Amino acid sequence: MNAEVKTELAVLLRQGVVWRGSSAGRASAAVITSGFPSLDEQTGGGWPGGALSEIFSPQGLGFSLLLPLLAELSRQQQWLTWVNPPHVPYAPALEARQVNIARVLLVKVRDTEQSLWAAEQALRSGNCSLVLLWVERVSAARIRRLQLAAEESNCMGILFRPLQQRQQASMAALRLQVTPAGDGLQVQVLKRRAGWGGKPLHLSCSG
Amino acid sequence: MLWLGFYFPQLPLSIFAGEQTVPLAVTRREKGRDLIDRCNELARAQGIHAGMPLNTALSLLSSLQVRERDRAREQQQLEALAGWAWQYSSRISFDPLLMLLEVGASLKLFGGFSSLLERMQQEQPAAADLQHWALAPSPSAAALLARYRPKARITDPGQLPGQLADIPLQRLTRRRQVLELMQGIGLSSIGDCLRLPRPELARRVEPEFVLLLDRLLGRVPDPRPLWQPPEIFEQRLLLLHEIGQASALLFPARRLVESLCGFLRGRDGAAQRLQWQFLHRDAPPTPLAQGMLAPGREVEYMLEIFRQSLERLSLPEAVVEMVLRVDDWQAFQEQAGDLFDSGAGAQDNSFLERLRARMGSEAVQGIQVHPDHRPEHAWRYCEPLEKAGDRCAVSVSHGHQPIWLLPKPQSLLVRRGRPCYRGELRLQVFSQRIESGWWDDADVARDYYRASNSSGQQLWIYRDRRSGRWFLQGFFD
Repeated sequence: MNAEVKTELAVLLRQGVVWRGSSAGRASAAVITSGFPSLDEQTGGGWPGGALSEIFSPQGLGFSLLLPLLAELSRQQQWLTWVNPPHVPYAPALEARQVNIARVLLVKVRDTEQSLWAAEQALRSGNCSLVLLWVERVSAARIRRLQLAAEESNCMGILFRPLQQRQQASMAALRLQVTPAGDGLQVQVLKRRAGWGGKPLHLSCSG
Repeated sequence: MLWLGFYFPQLPLSIFAGEQTVPLAVTRREKGRDLIDRCNELARAQGIHAGMPLNTALSLLSSLQVRERDRAREQQQLEALAGWAWQYSSRISFDPLLMLLEVGASLKLFGGFSSLLERMQQEQPAAADLQHWALAPSPSAAALLARYRPKARITDPGQLPGQLADIPLQRLTRRRQVLELMQGIGLSSIGDCLRLPRPELARRVEPEFVLLLDRLLGRVPDPRPLWQPPEIFEQRLLLLHEIGQASALLFPARRLVESLCGFLRGRDGAAQRLQWQFLHRDAPPTPLAQGMLAPGREVEYMLEIFRQSLERLSLPEAVVEMVLRVDDWQAFQEQAGDLFDSGAGAQDNSFLERLRARMGSEAVQGIQVHPDHRPEHAWRYCEPLEKAGDRCAVSVSHGHQPIWLLPKPQSLLVRRGRPCYRGELRLQVFSQRIESGWWDDADVARDYYRASNSSGQQLWIYRDRRSGRWFLQGFFD
């Protein structure tokens, strides 16, 4: 390898565009534990902060994966903004799982365009620790915008998308496929930063 | 007593909102003719001046915008200003184009006259120009000096005659009888009158004039009607040009919002709900309710929310006049730390306002727990910053409860004795029995189960024990 290539590679490495397999698995500072040790292991420490994650699942499944995260983040003085959740979150059940619902902000809008706008506003506001968005159809370009918004304001964003769309390329830092398995969930890491996921995980989330 | 007078020479022009980027003049009628009463700088640059007949002015400058002088509106504007000034003095009176504040009692509070004036000039609403002021021991002297000797500062009544001496008599009174008489005996200024022995003067002129002089010099009390602040805020603004585009309403709105915030400051209040009305030539007025998360009185903040609200405003016609009304203002409280329990640092919730302004306030909500055993009554939507009320001691068991709730239980089909939802359901765990609500008309007797269907969905269903029917009420994931 000549010197020129080496420096170019160094630049790319610094930008995080490429990574070395040897450094995989090292938890970066900006992750928040998911509360599930086996999932943390496969994702490099948990949910990536200041970035977008995607959960692909049938019928919007997989929300219970977030409960430990919600409980943790709701102790901060920032909003947990939920854009277009599929149903009404059941307040007593959330409280029973140590989620401080006073931090929960529900945004109900008519169309996809508005929900994307609202999610981006929330991500950029600097007032939210987490932005959740349920969306049926979204272009790779819009996901890129959301990812940039999350990076710029160091806010965590998580998208819930239909299972069928998992083939679509995206800039999200973490992509999970979630399917039901018995009374728990099967989680497959489709994409993560600086590494690969492993075998599908079986997590029993007391939903 | 010490009176601080402010004179607003531009008021007849400035009540007409809109850009002062066109030559503008107001007229008055005198002896059956329309005369230019005042004009702005742009008109003056084209040779228009006060006292010029309107016809002459228009022949000089055909693009001159002309309005008739509107004294009622000028007075309204003064009163709006008084709403702001109320924080400095509770004794406020008016003369045409003049606002008079008794500040003797407030000087100590504000640390002397200089710092009071400085503070007022720093905080003045943009619509007001506090350049022309005067301080004097009597209200009429303060009024006269503010007009003709601005920045005069007299605290000792003994200095008054000297300061007023060379002001011509016709500035003090317009009564022709008095003026002609005075001219007849060679008196032309206030000083000339004051040099005359008082009994001499009293013999020659009507007693009203003597009283006027006595009040001017503070020798006798000058009882004036004092302004009473209104309970509600309502102000109208005539637009110089009709506005057809909603977004263009932002500019004139600033004037009204500044005035409102002045009113609120003056009364140590804050507003949460602003009611706008946009008046058209023919169509009925368009209302716009501007709600905010918390009561406030910051001009820029309110304007930003107003700007956002405009995005969902559609105008049937151009706007000719706008009205801002607030009738439920409340006592101002420092917000910092109040929004969240622990009070560590004030939250900036402007993004919340932005969302609500753009999508309507019902689109953005919080949730609360409500003590009730029936799941559909065990929660409610709330304002995002609303604190949960005191929890009742009703301990509600929430074992095995789902994260998602259907707003209304959904009746399930039963096939071969089994409830179905996207396939037959398998009951997994008995969750709980709920019997409650006998006190209102929605009493329930239900057995709840956790169930799953073939695709692995975990559902929360119940059997109504009276009817035997099955219902879906939530999802576990």
